[in-house]
Amino acid sequence: MTQVEQFYYDNKIVKKFAYATMLWGIVGMLVGLIIALQLVFPSLNFDLPFLTFSRLRPLHTNAVIFAFVGNGIFMGVYYSLQRLLKARMFSDLLSNLHFWGWQLIIVSAAATLPFGFTTSGEYNELVWPIDIAITLVWVIFGINMFGTILKRREEHLYVAIWFYIATWITVALLHIVRNLELPTSGLHSYGIFSGVQEALVQWWYGHNAVAFFLTTPYLGLMYYFMPKAANRPVYSYRLSIVHFWALIFIYIWAGPHHLLYTSLPDWAQSLGMVFSLMLIAPSWGGMINGLLTLRGAWDRVRQDPILKFMVVAVTAYGMSTFEGPMMSIKSFNAVTHYTDWTIAHVHVGALGWNGMLTFGVLYWLVPRIFNTKLYSSNLANIHFWLATLGIIFYAIPLYWGGVTQFLMWRDFTPDGFLTYPNFLETVTQIVPMYAIRALGGAIYLTGVIIGVYNLLKTTSGADCPANEYAEAPAFPKHHVESAGNKHWHSWIERRPMQMLVAALVLVLIGGMVELFPMWWIDDNVPKIASVKPYTPLELQGRDLYVREGCLGCHSQMVRPFRFETERYGDYSKSGEFIYDRPFLWGSKRTGPDLAREGTGKLKKSDSWHYNHLIDPTSTSPGSIMPAYPWFAEDDLDISTTAAKISALRTLGTPYDAGYEEIANEDLAKQAAAIAKRLKDEGVDQPGVEKKEIVAIIAYLQRLGVDITLEAQTEK
Amino acid sequence: MFKYILQGAGDINWMATTALVLFFFIFIAGSAWVLTRKKDYVDKISRLPLDDE
Repeated sequence: MTQVEQFYYDNKIVKKFAYATMLWGIVGMLVGLIIALQLVFPSLNFDLPFLTFSRLRPLHTNAVIFAFVGNGIFMGVYYSLQRLLKARMFSDLLSNLHFWGWQLIIVSAAATLPFGFTTSGEYNELVWPIDIAITLVWVIFGINMFGTILKRREEHLYVAIWFYIATWITVALLHIVRNLELPTSGLHSYGIFSGVQEALVQWWYGHNAVAFFLTTPYLGLMYYFMPKAANRPVYSYRLSIVHFWALIFIYIWAGPHHLLYTSLPDWAQSLGMVFSLMLIAPSWGGMINGLLTLRGAWDRVRQDPILKFMVVAVTAYGMSTFEGPMMSIKSFNAVTHYTDWTIAHVHVGALGWNGMLTFGVLYWLVPRIFNTKLYSSNLANIHFWLATLGIIFYAIPLYWGGVTQFLMWRDFTPDGFLTYPNFLETVTQIVPMYAIRALGGAIYLTGVIIGVYNLLKTTSGADCPANEYAEAPAFPKHHVESAGNKHWHSWIERRPMQMLVAALVLVLIGGMVELFPMWWIDDNVPKIASVKPYTPLELQGRDLYVREGCLGCHSQMVRPFRFETERYGDYSKSGEFIYDRPFLWGSKRTGPDLAREGTGKLKKSDSWHYNHLIDPTSTSPGSIMPAYPWFAEDDLDISTTAAKISALRTLGTPYDAGYEEIANEDLAKQAAAIAKRLKDEGVDQPGVEKKEIVAIIAYLQRLGVDITLEAQTEK
Repeated sequence: MFKYILQGAGDINWMATTALVLFFFIFIAGSAWVLTRKKDYVDKISRLPLDDE
């Protein structure tokens, strides 16, 4: 007879993560609302660099994903893990280091991103010292989690724990591979991958950030908190096993669906599409399991706001995991890529699945750890309806806007010319949709504020004991073979380390198959002889483009469609991007594609660029692009040139040995030439050759030049 | 016949085909095992979150 042991669950750490979740939810969504409004009222950029849309957008994405959902994950994991394992967290010190370390990372993001310290990699913008901090904190979390698993009293690992294990190992893998970079200074680095190779690494990372940060940990939370809230076991445990392994294997391959009809090799695009389609099955396995857990209890859903949140969350999960695979079909993607449909898709998942499940868990968990009742069930219901309405008002205008914009981009007159040759026309058409979207976001945020108010009123006057008493039999010294558990899966459920290794092997397969050929088989990246490295001035200008976050609205990837080649010029080839660190293909066209900006029908004078950057409406009335007047005011920092050139040479860009010593001379020459052209064209600003604006003009004027006929005849 | 089907898949390298085939067989094997487990055991595990307080 195994003796019963007495111990305590740590609730203090759960409380801390709960408060952090609420705080960053409001902050992150508020930034989202601000940037949504900036698209409707560009004056809300206030001509201040740290408030400009292009710099704030990554702050929003990082805040809602890593600060809001991140703390939500840890809140749910720290609560459920202890109770499923019948063990207190391995180390209170590690729990606290994890908590404070994570909040410090969030604060560093807020201190860097709006000030232009960014790598521009989507959902991976944070600069290299913060990447190191993330690695350390993640390792601390891992030691704490696995330490608890190893000292558990409950033999069997419930399905939620498999999801937590897969999350931990895969996020570690993704973070490390995506952030292989060479620093050039304390807050700047260049990645080891460039161009199309980096594109694939980025979207292997980016899609799996969705999979293993926004999905798998939340499926784990669903498998614990939904049965708890409904007081009934999950519909089919067998289904949970099948869909878990299928999900973690298939998800990894889906990355290329972000790169359809780009210059990524066809075989990789096909893999991305096919695996994304297959992904419907395991994703819906999760949805079915969640929803059918409530079979026979639907009347309780009507009465209990917590169950309402959870049901709509799981339904939104099902909707976005159907929509996503549909959008991964190449012909469908041709319509949606670069449009607001993608944004709508993201937010159905983020607001519906992540947002609403987080609050379902908060409403269940907070009263429990404070030994009290929820302050107001009425307010919780109001929050539920505001959340649901908010999602609808958010997504529907963006579907409308996305399709409208695509149809306008694609339209030809009977004579064979573009009906809307001016990109700006396609934007002004959909600004009213942006206004409705901002309203949707405001409705959703109002719900969140009401929810946080409700939860704070619940905790005020109540006490959250740091430790919760529990008893459980000790871990059995000898495993008891009962009739039902003689099978391989129960073997692995009792062996968390083997489960960790198996999960790692499975997620590595997809990554290796897609990434290794891109890295090691030269044929996949054809070289183009006329493509040369950027000049020092252009390089500095490119880094300004990265600093400002221009990638958030401008793509640099012309797809092989007639409506694109007609508008922009020749479609993009992967050989053009081999020196691009970071790659800047972009995911969204709020503004036009810039890949051919320096050539052909799109080429504009240096003074046009000068005027357009200082005040976009001066050349483009009705433009919603923010103004960048500081480009003409601030001196270009040329002290960084040498370090950048030498880092790039180390990474494979063929600058001559020792070029960094004289690079600034070439820079000054090119800057002087541009300053002279500006003066000739009527822009007389004394000293402009020292300003940032000549650098960014130089960069923009280089785009697309290398592969045009002029370049080929010159060389 | 199989060459014809594989042709339609486009230029997919041998690693991808191997991985897919391997996954398929492991999936079928795994599902078969899962579906042949005893009900008592499955019920006990699925009740783990409910039995912890």
